[in-house]
Amino acid sequence: MIRDCTIIKELPLGGQKKVHLAEHPVAGKVVIKRGAIKSFTSLERIKREVELLSELDSIYYPKQYHFNIDIKTKEFEIVEDFIEGKVLRDALAQFRTPDEIFKLLNSLIDGLSIIWDKNIVHRDLKPENIIIRPNGMPCIIDLGIARFLDLESLTKTISPMGPCTPIYATPEQLTNNKNIIDPRTDFFNLGIIALELYLGVHPFDPTYVGNHYSIVENILQNKYTLVTPSVTYDDKIAQFSYQTLQTQPYNRFRNYTILKSFVSKQY
Amino acid sequence: MIFSPVNIDADKLLALDVDLKKTGFLDPQLYLLNEAKGTLDTYPYFPGNLKPDFTTPDLDTSQLQLAQLCIDYQIDNDFKYMIIPTRYYVDYPTSYFEQSTDYFVTPFCEYIRAKNIDKKILLSVIVKSIMLSDEEKRNEVLNWITGHQHIDGVYLIFENNFSSKQIKDFDYLLNALKFIKILKDNQMEVHLGYTNTEALLYSIAMPDSISIGSYENLRSFGIKRFQDLESSPMRAPNARLYSSKLLQWIDYDYIQAMKKLIPDYENFFDDSEFKPLMFQPEFKWHFAKPEPYKHYFYIFDKQIKSLPDSQTDRIEQLKSDIKNALILFKRIKDKVLLDDDSDDSHLPTWFNVINAYQIEITK
Repeated sequence: MIRDCTIIKELPLGGQKKVHLAEHPVAGKVVIKRGAIKSFTSLERIKREVELLSELDSIYYPKQYHFNIDIKTKEFEIVEDFIEGKVLRDALAQFRTPDEIFKLLNSLIDGLSIIWDKNIVHRDLKPENIIIRPNGMPCIIDLGIARFLDLESLTKTISPMGPCTPIYATPEQLTNNKNIIDPRTDFFNLGIIALELYLGVHPFDPTYVGNHYSIVENILQNKYTLVTPSVTYDDKIAQFSYQTLQTQPYNRFRNYTILKSFVSKQY
Repeated sequence: MIFSPVNIDADKLLALDVDLKKTGFLDPQLYLLNEAKGTLDTYPYFPGNLKPDFTTPDLDTSQLQLAQLCIDYQIDNDFKYMIIPTRYYVDYPTSYFEQSTDYFVTPFCEYIRAKNIDKKILLSVIVKSIMLSDEEKRNEVLNWITGHQHIDGVYLIFENNFSSKQIKDFDYLLNALKFIKILKDNQMEVHLGYTNTEALLYSIAMPDSISIGSYENLRSFGIKRFQDLESSPMRAPNARLYSSKLLQWIDYDYIQAMKKLIPDYENFFDDSEFKPLMFQPEFKWHFAKPEPYKHYFYIFDKQIKSLPDSQTDRIEQLKSDIKNALILFKRIKDKVLLDDDSDDSHLPTWFNVINAYQIEITK
């Protein structure tokens, strides 16, 4: 498939991967990702993500067209749908009022419930991993560290921290308590995103929390802010934050039905 | 109604009137894999029927079959809820929750889903004292229970290892109430099994149901009930009578003393159709006599049903009942001294627990 593609340009995002925007005669605009396979674990993670995306046929996830591993060079290549739009990080201004935030959350829950139903936890929800399409609908990307609860864990038990983006991680990810990773881990991540959208700043940022700890330490100590000098308290946002940003998963919304029921009543 | 395989043959239970079963559920009693006490081995899912000398490793290969047989049996009886069983350990292994998920929760839920069974699912959980007292253990069990997305509630059993007849441990009781509250906050149904009169106390955490057991071994959970202990010595309990006014079971010896020393002693005890017989001079008190148990069943059922629906009213009523019981005990103790299994020594603790829980729910 890659041979049929015409490279348009290199894209800046991708971490360890090289990412190109290309045109395919049938699929249209696609993204080509190439990268090195560094370990069995990273290969297994890539395979799991690719297999999952190949079976998902949803507007909430990019379509997967092609996957190949070159054993000689120890490299992989993936071709997936190019999602028009902006990452949420660059579209924060579109979601500032509680109504706008809860509408977005509602769509995100619809999208995430597809993988939650498959016993999969995204584990890396953050504004950089959500693309807002021109029609305002979100597309969830980068399932590279998703936890497949029905499959063997790929995280080393002795690692001090589980796979995550630390400033968007839950206490259980930060302490590598992998036995309690479940959809409620994603609920916590959604709590951070929602509150960040409302406040315009990271809710665990010590500048606004008013202490000298780091964001990660504040997450571990459950210290966050619901207001900033320029943003006032909102009861609905506060309630949502309270029920998602809890240290113990059993104090968060229990399942996505309860979560969705709460969110859909807020706007 | 909770149906107990150790006490009733599987075919007899199947033949029981459906009306009796459609509001209840089965306690599968897979607590011990290898003990076939009572009529347990008449149940198709009993592990010994799957393989002689069934042991834990056999669950690796038999978990699906066991789930199918157990669920099919529950469906054939048309119980209201589908129950996922649990195993009992004296000391829970570190992999307990993982194993329980793999051996019971996952295969049971998958089979229920595959068969398109439209009934609520309850997870059986035995809560050991340490799971209430140790924060880490409590978090672990609560995260595990609430982490199953397809479970509607729990069949909760607080293991009772206390040597006294009543539970008088403030922390234990308060933590039990908080435990129930957390599950209710998670929008789970909570059905309590094996409770004694502390069921009244637990009721203030608003569980969905509380079982009323008549015999002593049905009023507190102990694994001995499921072990074949034919050779071990049996200790016959003293005959006792429950009084809803005293919130206590009174040893028959003290009732005899009260008869001699308190003229209106009968008024300390509730009226029932069994009472006149029990208070006749020729009545031979013995723990195996059915009347005290029938009396308890009738009286305690009435007492539970009289609890107000609103949590606030329920709490206030219970506090008032405890105060009244303490007054009555004072009258008794002016004439008759009681030992601490028949006296009011549990009531101050209960009262304090209620006050502490009231603060907890207003936080």
